[in-house]
Amino acid sequence: MLELLIVPWNLFPLAAAEEAAVVDNAFKLLMVLATPVFALVVVTVIYSMLRFRRRGEPTEDGPAIHGPRSVILAWLTVTTGLTILMIITPGITGLRELRAHASEAPDLLVQVQGGRWFWKVTYPEYGVSSTKELVLPVGKRARFEVSAMDVLHSFWIPAFRVKIDAVPGKITTTYATPDTLGSYDDDEHMRIQCAELCGLGHSVMRLSVRVVTEDEFKAWIAESTAK
Amino acid sequence: MAFLPLIKAVLFAAIGFAVGAGATTGLRNLLGMEPWSTEPVVTMGYVFALIGWLLGVGLWDAWAREWFGKQPKEPLHEGWARFLRFSTDHKVIGVQYLVTMVVIMLLAGALSLLMRVELAAPGQTIMGASDFNTTMSLHGIMMIAVAVATVMGGFANFFVPLMIGAEDVAFPRINAMSYWIVPPVAVLLLATPLMGGFDTGWTAYPPLSVLNASGQLLFLLAFLTFGVSSILGGLNFLATIIMLRAPGMSWGRLPIFVWSIFSAALISLTATQSVALGLLTVILDRVAGTSFYNAAEGGNALLYEHVFWFYSHPAVYIMILPAFGIALEMLTHFSRKPLFAYKWVVASLLTVVGLSYIVWAHHLFTSGMGDYLHLPFMVTTELISIPTGMVFLSGLGTIWQGRLWLKTPMLFALGFLMNFVIGGVTGIFLADVPTDINLQDTYFVVAHFHYTIMGGEIFAILGALYYWFPKMSGRSYNEALGVVHFWWLFLSYNVTFISMFWVGILGMPRRVADYPANMADANLFVTVASFVLGASFLVFAGNLLYSWIKGPVASANPWKARTLEWQTSSPPPLENFPSEPTVVGSPYGYGVAGSVHARLAPAGGSKEQDGQS
Ligand SMILES: [Cu+2]
Ligand SMILES: [Cu+2]
Repeated sequence: MLELLIVPWNLFPLAAAEEAAVVDNAFKLLMVLATPVFALVVVTVIYSMLRFRRRGEPTEDGPAIHGPRSVILAWLTVTTGLTILMIITPGITGLRELRAHASEAPDLLVQVQGGRWFWKVTYPEYGVSSTKELVLPVGKRARFEVSAMDVLHSFWIPAFRVKIDAVPGKITTTYATPDTLGSYDDDEHMRIQCAELCGLGHSVMRLSVRVVTEDEFKAWIAESTAK
Repeated sequence: MAFLPLIKAVLFAAIGFAVGAGATTGLRNLLGMEPWSTEPVVTMGYVFALIGWLLGVGLWDAWAREWFGKQPKEPLHEGWARFLRFSTDHKVIGVQYLVTMVVIMLLAGALSLLMRVELAAPGQTIMGASDFNTTMSLHGIMMIAVAVATVMGGFANFFVPLMIGAEDVAFPRINAMSYWIVPPVAVLLLATPLMGGFDTGWTAYPPLSVLNASGQLLFLLAFLTFGVSSILGGLNFLATIIMLRAPGMSWGRLPIFVWSIFSAALISLTATQSVALGLLTVILDRVAGTSFYNAAEGGNALLYEHVFWFYSHPAVYIMILPAFGIALEMLTHFSRKPLFAYKWVVASLLTVVGLSYIVWAHHLFTSGMGDYLHLPFMVTTELISIPTGMVFLSGLGTIWQGRLWLKTPMLFALGFLMNFVIGGVTGIFLADVPTDINLQDTYFVVAHFHYTIMGGEIFAILGALYYWFPKMSGRSYNEALGVVHFWWLFLSYNVTFISMFWVGILGMPRRVADYPANMADANLFVTVASFVLGASFLVFAGNLLYSWIKGPVASANPWKARTLEWQTSSPPPLENFPSEPTVVGSPYGYGVAGSVHARLAPAGGSKEQDGQS
């Protein structure tokens, strides 16, 4: 529990996909931009509370400073500059990175269906489907075509930092390129977690994710087809 | 008898329900349908019950008699019984709203503690997923109501007319009606568990909200009714501020709190229709079998998300703009300095109003809407940092070199600045598409909006309750207990909610009753902290309750503040001022020799007297 008291620089859980690095880097960059803003406000308030405090009822007024134009314009310039900066990076640059391969054909197609309260994954290229686990070959770019059977759900893999809602009557898509071997048994972030409230079983609407080598993946497909 | 109007209201509501329900059953029978169907019968019964309730509580006596050529009855103006009936005095309505909302806040706070007990450990601890979902959803909508109506209904009612030197609001009877619509909302919400509860959170996304238990219907009716109240309130404050300012109260002399209410009222009046439409279509899908959101029949679930957030994002500014106003108001009076960059803050408030209408889809970055919409909504959302930054400059500039009088309200105003900056900067992480894709629907979001609404708005509201307590009750609260409440709450609040960011980054989705074991320690920590937080409200409730009854009598202007509400007795007389005030200068003329905000001619006298102390 002690780790809660110190916020470590690397505060992120397991990252197991290329997309996760983009998201985590954007987060770090925003931390760098946000910290001075936060510090400026908190330091000014605490300093003022100590320095300008008057005990007892005030007997005099402070100086009649109404806000010099130069200070206001300087502040506006800085806040506008900061805003434009963060729109450009990590905003626009991050979006470009995430969508860099959007037009390329994926290595693997996975259809994901959400229903109350389970996930079903289908590999149409192999005619295989599963409600037990999502198995992905490492280093292969997967395209997820997500749909819902009943109500809204949301397909989220925390270790991949990837999320897209499952919407009835619609197919939504997202991509992930797993880059680390592992499974739910080693790390709880390797799971599909429903992230959109869907009723009774919402919290436990999870599916194990397992990232394996290409050979293991082929073996798993063969084994599943045989069944 | 004091309770007569309430008894009459309940009776009329019961008759109304019987009429509506009976008519629906009869009509269904005539049309050859199964006579009894719970949801249509309850819906129609409720509509008539609401009308019966309003007529019974006093709308008939004070208003509707006029429509039939009869003389309306004069309402009661003395004694505590006036709080239990249809009163058109804005000060009575303000107190009615405040008491109602503080009670709802404490109830909804207790619900959040129940949620924290369930979340203290993985697996089930005290309740199943179904009860958890209802508890969570109720906590959400009750706190939303508190966040919307405490300031817009409570403080705005009591203080806008006083601060602009008016006798009352523009439409006193509409004002009374907008309050008396609220108790049925509370009753409906508290009745949801009797009809199976509801498990959609306050957002009520279909198709779930069309398919689930009938408790959902009660929620939808409650929210829709509350929306009507909100629209009426917005209309009333706009008309009041535009039409009823005292002579000399030009727009440039308007206290910043009044400006903030003006801005929020613009949103209340114009955006609430959108959510009402969303709720109405869900009700129709449930009750009348339409298919706005049924994909199998050509409906579109995503449509609701757009309609809902088209109101609900602007709605967060109905909550936060008045909080800006309150905080800046307290900062300037307790620093004894003019409000820094007054005109720029006014421009910023209005800019936020404008921007608030074009940012809604930042709630939809993972919804499956077109990718091309991500960039424009990210840009508009992040632009809000600029006017918000101006509010911070004003706050910091005002306290700088001031003569800081650290009374309880001032502590809350300073706490507001420190909490809200965390809410503000973490908002950027959710406006930025790459980070939001991961953080959307996690505890990071929960922590963020609690920082803006609780750390921000609720801190401002608590400060305002202390600040205006002497004016409203005529008595002083206990200062030492107020200071204890502030520090206790400020520290426990930050420990609780900072940890929630951490929990969110760990990968905990929001609105869950259960989670994987790796998040157990962090959740237990949050639960313990939340109970320390909850206990601080005992100090608050005890202090204000005792002081209201037995506190020492307060003077007219205990804070030596310059705005008009402090230039009349505590509490003010029915007509607010002995005679109409004349405004001659800025309300923030601290440190300016000879500066006067307003002059009040004593009743019947001719001698002019300075309106400041
Ligand atoms: Cu779900
Ligand atoms: Cu929003």
